Amino acid sequence: MPLNQDVLWYKDAIIYQVHVRTFYDSNGDGIGDFQGLEQKLGYLQELGVNAIWLMPFFPSPLRDDGYDIADYNSVHSSYGTLEDFRKLLDSAHSKGIRVIIEMVLNHTSDQHPWFQESRSSSDNPRRDWYVWSDTDNRYQGTRIIFLDTERSNWAWDPISKAYYWHRFFSHQPDLNYDNPAVREQMWKVMSFWLEMGVDAFRLDAVPYLVEREGTNCENLPETHEVLKELRRKLDEQFPGRMLLAEANQWPADLRPYFGDGDEFHMAFHFPLMPRMFMGLKLEDRKPITEILQQTPEIPPTCQWSLFLRNHDELTLEMVTDLERDYMYDSYAEDKTMRLNLGIRRRLAPLLDNDRRRIELMNGMLMSLPGTPIIYYGDEIGMGDNINLGDRNGVRTPMQWSGGWNGGFSAAEPDRLYAPLIQNPVYGYPAVNVLAQLGTGHSLLHWMRRIIAVRRSTAVFGRGSIEFIHPANHRILAYVRRLGNEAVLVVNNLSGAAQAVELDLRRYKGNIPIEMFGRNIFPRVGEQPYLLTLGPYQFYWFRLRRI
Amino acid sequence: MRIVETMSHDAAQATPLLSEMKLAEDTFLTDDFVRQLINVGEVDILVGLPTHNNAKTIGSLVKSIQSGILRWFPRERAVIINADGGSRDGTPELVTGISIDDVRPTSNLNALRTLHSISTRYGNSPTSSAAMRTILSAAELLQAKACVVMSPESSGIEDEWLSRLLRPVRNEGFDLVTPIYRRHKFEGMLLTNLLYPMTRALYGVRIREPYTHDLGFSGRFAGEFLLQNSWENEGDADGSELRFTLAAITGHHRICQVFLGEKEHIERHASDLVPALRQTVAPLFSALEPDFPAWSAVTGSQPVPTTGPDHEVSLDPLRVNRKRLREMFSTGVAELASVFQTILSPSTLTELRGIARMDEGEFRFPAELWVRTVYEFAASYHKSVISRDHIIQSLAPLFRGRALAFLVENRTGSAEDVENNIEAICLEFERLKPYLLEMWKSRE
Repeated sequence: MPLNQDVLWYKDAIIYQVHVRTFYDSNGDGIGDFQGLEQKLGYLQELGVNAIWLMPFFPSPLRDDGYDIADYNSVHSSYGTLEDFRKLLDSAHSKGIRVIIEMVLNHTSDQHPWFQESRSSSDNPRRDWYVWSDTDNRYQGTRIIFLDTERSNWAWDPISKAYYWHRFFSHQPDLNYDNPAVREQMWKVMSFWLEMGVDAFRLDAVPYLVEREGTNCENLPETHEVLKELRRKLDEQFPGRMLLAEANQWPADLRPYFGDGDEFHMAFHFPLMPRMFMGLKLEDRKPITEILQQTPEIPPTCQWSLFLRNHDELTLEMVTDLERDYMYDSYAEDKTMRLNLGIRRRLAPLLDNDRRRIELMNGMLMSLPGTPIIYYGDEIGMGDNINLGDRNGVRTPMQWSGGWNGGFSAAEPDRLYAPLIQNPVYGYPAVNVLAQLGTGHSLLHWMRRIIAVRRSTAVFGRGSIEFIHPANHRILAYVRRLGNEAVLVVNNLSGAAQAVELDLRRYKGNIPIEMFGRNIFPRVGEQPYLLTLGPYQFYWFRLRRI
Repeated sequence: MRIVETMSHDAAQATPLLSEMKLAEDTFLTDDFVRQLINVGEVDILVGLPTHNNAKTIGSLVKSIQSGILRWFPRERAVIINADGGSRDGTPELVTGISIDDVRPTSNLNALRTLHSISTRYGNSPTSSAAMRTILSAAELLQAKACVVMSPESSGIEDEWLSRLLRPVRNEGFDLVTPIYRRHKFEGMLLTNLLYPMTRALYGVRIREPYTHDLGFSGRFAGEFLLQNSWENEGDADGSELRFTLAAITGHHRICQVFLGEKEHIERHASDLVPALRQTVAPLFSALEPDFPAWSAVTGSQPVPTTGPDHEVSLDPLRVNRKRLREMFSTGVAELASVFQTILSPSTLTELRGIARMDEGEFRFPAELWVRTVYEFAASYHKSVISRDHIIQSLAPLFRGRALAFLVENRTGSAEDVENNIEAICLEFERLKPYLLEMWKSRE
């Protein structure tokens, strides 16, 4: 299957987020690898995804799951070779799957040779590649992100006898983007991978590239200049490739990252995700409609990327204190589930393994404006292990079968990079791909089905959205439109059956066709359109004027 | 109905089930109101606002309520239900027109949820019973866990009132929460001279405001009262608020009192007294019949759990036309002589005539005589010696006499003195309770 040549391919994408290490171990060393992932591309193709986003696979001391890169132009030996990666890339493309890789622009590992050189002396040529200071008093207005582990954004380097700036862990010194040599070098790094055939980058932690005194050192105009420069080069030299921004910000602050269509193609909509969980728990559409109403228009070539869960905690940075407390009490009563300002749990445990709620959340993910991202394992309802530190509890091996090591690896279990989920509810004997493939009504089959329905029309990826405001606040209803095509989406956020009257007079004369069963419903007339929905039920109706 | 379809042919032709008949006849709630309730769904908190031409005060009250919900119950599913008796001043529109966004800028509060405000008009004339029935019906249909009804005249209240009335229900399992206000010593004399002491003596529970427009209650109790209370003659005997309190007592529900603070004084006219008696004393007298097994067995009285002071009076100067009261009392005793002869015992009537002839300077209406008078009225009401409404109306001049005496006795009294006097009246009602029982039985 050839790759779709449309330059806006990312608007129609279904992205699958996966860490090479976690997916499949082809050589029995207990760690997933490129060859293993390549062998499982058929599974992803059948699932219906057409893009994979690989988490960092570069050489790294792995003190932050690979986000502490020690060499940008190579791959971590545990995952294979650069040649293995090339083969993976080619195989994916041959199956119509694009490959998005991570690029951590903001910082390196403190083990990176650049930093080792930089710290070696104040007159080293690479001294200015990082942000050094004689005091730790500069940039006082900057918040600390990893509150649970860091007390300052400055760390003392005993070798250099100076402080260096870091927005994340202290072993991740920030690069100095005021230095043109750094900007040039990072473009060279990106070019290296683009020339190999990589389709897109997820650029990590982009709001923090540049620091200025008297500011909060986030979202600065100088940072946008750096990003625009990268985009300009990308468009000139590699048209059709894509940049995805990781910027955990409010929608209004995120908007500048799209520029005039000349900065990022895509950005994560971070504030929406916790509000989807909140709306579900509150059984009230208010949090969802409120944040979407606050979301500004973006240029026509740009796109939001939506997700339910990812490799990090369910971040609660972009919510009010009231909302955060509610989310903690609702989804993380056990305090060990909380990390930084978030909740380190997977989708299925967050939703009490309630199939109806899992389906509803995926239904919203697939039908709200944006490109959906599925976190590996969530398509089969994998669980987590909160006894593993940091965010490792949501990064356990993929559960392929109920056999040896869950089908993930032939290694001795104690050699696995992380233990498999073992508990009776979510353990690999109960939750695995093989079993779900053999069960027609499994979550996996359902996910295949909804992805297929989503992909059957461009309206979800490219269409506009118009909210309907029924008096029943438990119902979230909207119409997605693209050209002459219109899809009505009705979601019941409540655990009880609901009746709702929808004002569809604008669509008078249309016949709703339910998109999963393809049954027709009564024609829309002048009167309010009455629907009844079971607990957590949702409908997608194609509106046809026949 | 569906259930009939599952029955045999013969059974289906039989007389319809009682429940079916009731449902078919019961059109108390309008379809539009039911449709609005469907949209609201199950709630944790329901705030009821019975209104009738309250445009002057309702806006600030709704804002206080919304502010109270956001501040004290941000996570709960809440609804404001306005039961309107046909306002012509735009009251319902004011209730539904105020949104959380109007409250947020001044209170700096955020809302997690949708807060519904819905309004419905009941019946053709404003009665507190119809309003109460509407609100309780909504509470039942929405499965409200905790409810509060607030007086639409309560302007300028603190949003904490809502919390004080609801928290005992939400957190401590009480079924009824009645208020205590800081009142002027001469405000609410019908309450201090009749309603409070008589309910206390008869039912054995010391509820300072048994008749109130601000109260909290559980959804469980609301549903029970809705089912058990007779709503048939609601137009004739208004005053469901008092019946509500009495039902909580006789149903052995958990009751508490909370101190709310200053209750804004509302000017009353002399002509307001008879309607007030109809709303309060009539339902109290009416309740004595069905409640006889409950109250006849009670001796003494017990306090109820109370948060804050159990009474508080203020002593600011207040102008009262004592001469007018005196005249209305004396005239009433003279003009209603024939009526009183059917209601009162000869000795009581003689004593009343005696004090009606007293000079203003020596005027006294002893508590003992007042209690006997009230009890004889209650017994006559029970016996229906004359039209019950005439009995209630004829109590008005006698109450004015008692009110005058209370004013005189407490004119220079301190807060403590006033409270001691009220307590003395209560004890007199308790002491003479056997007298009521005796008359009640003798007149059976």
